[in-house]
Amino acid sequence: MRQGRDDGYPEFAAARAGHLYRSACLLTGGDTHLAEDLVQETLGRVYLKWGRISGADNPAGYVQTVLTRTFLAHRRRHSSRRERTTDVLPEVAGPESAGDASLRLTLFQALGQLSAKDRAVVVLRYWEDRSVEETAAAMNTSSAAVRTRCVRALARLRLLLGDALGEYARP
Amino acid sequence: MPEADHDSFEERFTHVLRDTGAALDTGRRDLAAEGAARGRRLVARRRAAVAGGVAAVALVGVGGALVLPGGQGGDGRQQSAAGSPKAGITTTAAETGAAKPAVSAASLLGAFEKLLPGGRLTQTEARGTDERSSAKNMYATPYVQGVYDDGRGKAAISVGINRVPPGTQEARQNTQCPDKAFIAYDSCSTTKLADGSALMILKGYEYPDKRSGTKLWRAELVTPTGQFIDVQEWNAAAEKDAPVTRPEPPLSAARLTALATAAEWRTAADAIPASQWPKPAPNEPKGPTGSVSATLAGLLPKGVEIVGKGNADPEFGYVVVDDGKGASLVQLNDQPDMRDVEGELFGADAKVLPDGTKVVTHQSAGDKDIAGIVMWTVDTIRPDGRRVVISAFNSGAQTTAPTRRAPALTLSRLEKIATDPKWNTLG
Repeated sequence: MRQGRDDGYPEFAAARAGHLYRSACLLTGGDTHLAEDLVQETLGRVYLKWGRISGADNPAGYVQTVLTRTFLAHRRRHSSRRERTTDVLPEVAGPESAGDASLRLTLFQALGQLSAKDRAVVVLRYWEDRSVEETAAAMNTSSAAVRTRCVRALARLRLLLGDALGEYARP
Repeated sequence: MPEADHDSFEERFTHVLRDTGAALDTGRRDLAAEGAARGRRLVARRRAAVAGGVAAVALVGVGGALVLPGGQGGDGRQQSAAGSPKAGITTTAAETGAAKPAVSAASLLGAFEKLLPGGRLTQTEARGTDERSSAKNMYATPYVQGVYDDGRGKAAISVGINRVPPGTQEARQNTQCPDKAFIAYDSCSTTKLADGSALMILKGYEYPDKRSGTKLWRAELVTPTGQFIDVQEWNAAAEKDAPVTRPEPPLSAARLTALATAAEWRTAADAIPASQWPKPAPNEPKGPTGSVSATLAGLLPKGVEIVGKGNADPEFGYVVVDDGKGASLVQLNDQPDMRDVEGELFGADAKVLPDGTKVVTHQSAGDKDIAGIVMWTVDTIRPDGRRVVISAFNSGAQTTAPTRRAPALTLSRLEKIATDPKWNTLG
């Protein structure tokens, strides 16, 4: 394999890595080390199949699906009963108010309390804005299971951060 | 899309998630380069594997031109893997390693047409057990769907085919009627069929709070071997963003049952390559847990009746109680080892009990779209880091109008429950 590919892969990877990393941070409940690893693994898999992926309708969406599945596969292999949120939370790009910092911490801690599959549903539905059906396809499960997980995950998140979001007034 | 009735927590959560995610930095600059390096290593490994004689690798991803015998010991007919457009079950060779012959999209569509009562079926789509998703090279679960019209209005109907790990909590959850505490619906029943399958018929709504009036009726069937059939029908021509065309979805509970239990779907579920069958999550308890809601129920004061309870996962449970003055939802989260967030949740003004447990209370408005709903919360953390947080509402659900002025349990009662030593013995 030549080092310098000219088939669009380097540009694609460079353009998507940042978004993938943010998604991975949400999926992992703020574990930045795992998030980096997942992004590298995802881009590695994409590298392998770039010929086919580059011709797909929506390579960016496909790569998000690979990330989700890589994350779930990782969780299956390394699951621990007492999953802990990391001490090192993802940094923000620009200046941030104390209120935003506190909310960010609370959000990651709440996400960290969900099961891996619930978190994947929440991230795909609300961060990636995918439909129930698309989320089901990405997670290789049924839309019924996605609906159930979504309702329960939201109920739990409401309990974990209801008050914190109450102050997050948006027009 | 008009979102005026949108559940406000869902909306606020979406904003927070997106704003927080968008504000994050984008990681180290070299992530893309390291991803490529990993890809190159994968290429090298795969070449070594193929050279080493793992011929099966070469078959993965072979497309529709494959022509193979239609089944072991059959009549020797040859059928194209692309499937016949005609109705009837056509079988093709499944993916490498699968034991059962694949069921094509055309077969699923044929079965769908045959099983639906007389009417017009349009806009059909299906995916067989031998196909990859549109995202290429990814296995995706089979389904068939279409817009059906019995003469009284167009309605979307879909049948999804999947597997669940048999005997697990996940399998049971798919056929357990959800508590009305979390989702609005008109009726729900789960029945045990003669073959040991569990069937849930749920007459509910597309949106949990009945927004837009789009009804969604579902039949969920889980068989003892883990075949999982999910039939859904709407009173609109599409799941979302389509006007309601009729008062109710077209298939009655009896017809939904007949459709969901048809043998054709089970054949298809068995044809899903075994490598794609979900495995039980290592940490999901195999038996019914019941521990959080059961413990919570055991700590309630006398004189309140439990009218509903349930568990979403091993660390979360809820009960709906009624003391004669109206239903009240009580939720509890029991989380071990939360010392890392103690400083965030329990400020300097937290009450400290003699045993070192910290306690804070919040009385807040619940969902802002539900006038008058209140949520009382007692949050506690023990010196060993166990956090028990309990919330009570003045309604039997988070999304319905208040049934009473205040929650059925006082703040001091909530504190008593949250600090009970029984929690120390869980998980």
